[in-house]
Amino acid sequence: MRIPNYKILICLISCIGLCGCFSRVDRLQGQFDIRNQEDPALSGDGTKLALIVDYKGRPTVELRDLRNGQILPLRHFSRNQPHSSPSLSWNGRYIAVIAQRRNRRLAIIEDRLTGRRYQFPIPGDRIPVRLSLAPDGSQLALQFAENGQWRVELFDLRQKIELDLPSGIGLFQSTSDEDS
Amino acid sequence: MKSNNCFKLPFCIYFVFLLFSLSGCASNEMRPMYGLNNFLFQSSNSLREPSLGSKWLVALVNYQGKDQIEMIDINRKKRIPLPGINRADSQPISVSISANGERLALIRQRADQTELLIYRRKVASLQPIVLSPKGIPRRVSLDSSGRVLAVQVSRSGKWDVEVIRLNV
Repeated sequence: MRIPNYKILICLISCIGLCGCFSRVDRLQGQFDIRNQEDPALSGDGTKLALIVDYKGRPTVELRDLRNGQILPLRHFSRNQPHSSPSLSWNGRYIAVIAQRRNRRLAIIEDRLTGRRYQFPIPGDRIPVRLSLAPDGSQLALQFAENGQWRVELFDLRQKIELDLPSGIGLFQSTSDEDS
Repeated sequence: MKSNNCFKLPFCIYFVFLLFSLSGCASNEMRPMYGLNNFLFQSSNSLREPSLGSKWLVALVNYQGKDQIEMIDINRKKRIPLPGINRADSQPISVSISANGERLALIRQRADQTELLIYRRKVASLQPIVLSPKGIPRRVSLDSSGRVLAVQVSRSGKWDVEVIRLNV
């Protein structure tokens, strides 16, 4: 029995349409290594990944270049563990992390372009639990535990740090040490 | 006259020290966004898991003992509706927003399943992302375009991080 051409065509179109409904997923990389890896955070451009790994039993932030899998150097995060809740700006110029200094938890931002560290003690006796940096680095959202409740507050960083905008990619890559 | 000079020198040094100290304090200060923070405080008594886009904040807010995903326009201090994202039979665990606020990645617990999903605001649709090999997602991060996501997954008693690029 011969199937009419238009029916085959309809079947083909339906199949293509149905395929489009499914999520097409490409996995860039699976497991990076055998250690526990937690708290992933992508840079805005999707090229860098910050995560928390066990380093000598201490939760420590690590920055990876997803294009080649390399670990990128961080100047200010070899101590003040445990680290938690990393967050990256658009090009990964800024990395923000909650860290420990003596008996206090505080937010630390490293500018990977200049090597500068910005340390932000939290006003009052509040304990920061999570943070999120705006893609351009202009704002920081902090989650606190306060009086048995979770609170989120936003802070304006525009007077403290230069913005990390998408157009800054070329400038950053030419001066950073990661490509050298 | 001599005694006056003696007084002036220490005072100058003291003044310079004071300036240094004050500038040191100022450099560590973050400026709270009071208007927005008051809005956040008044609108809910428990807010957690913040994620910032360019003009947006998403977080998990607790209403009458139940967590929901909420999106806030930072400049207008206004809630943005997210039709279809919060369900009575599910509990959100983690949420992340793209820079332009068009896409959200979320992890939610529904019955005995932990699901990873992408929400597109334009069409108010939820698209499940299947993990392969199977695992239990715990935390998610979206890039600015909303097309690359990093997921913390539990597999065989170990936490892994997986990066997924969406083609659609």
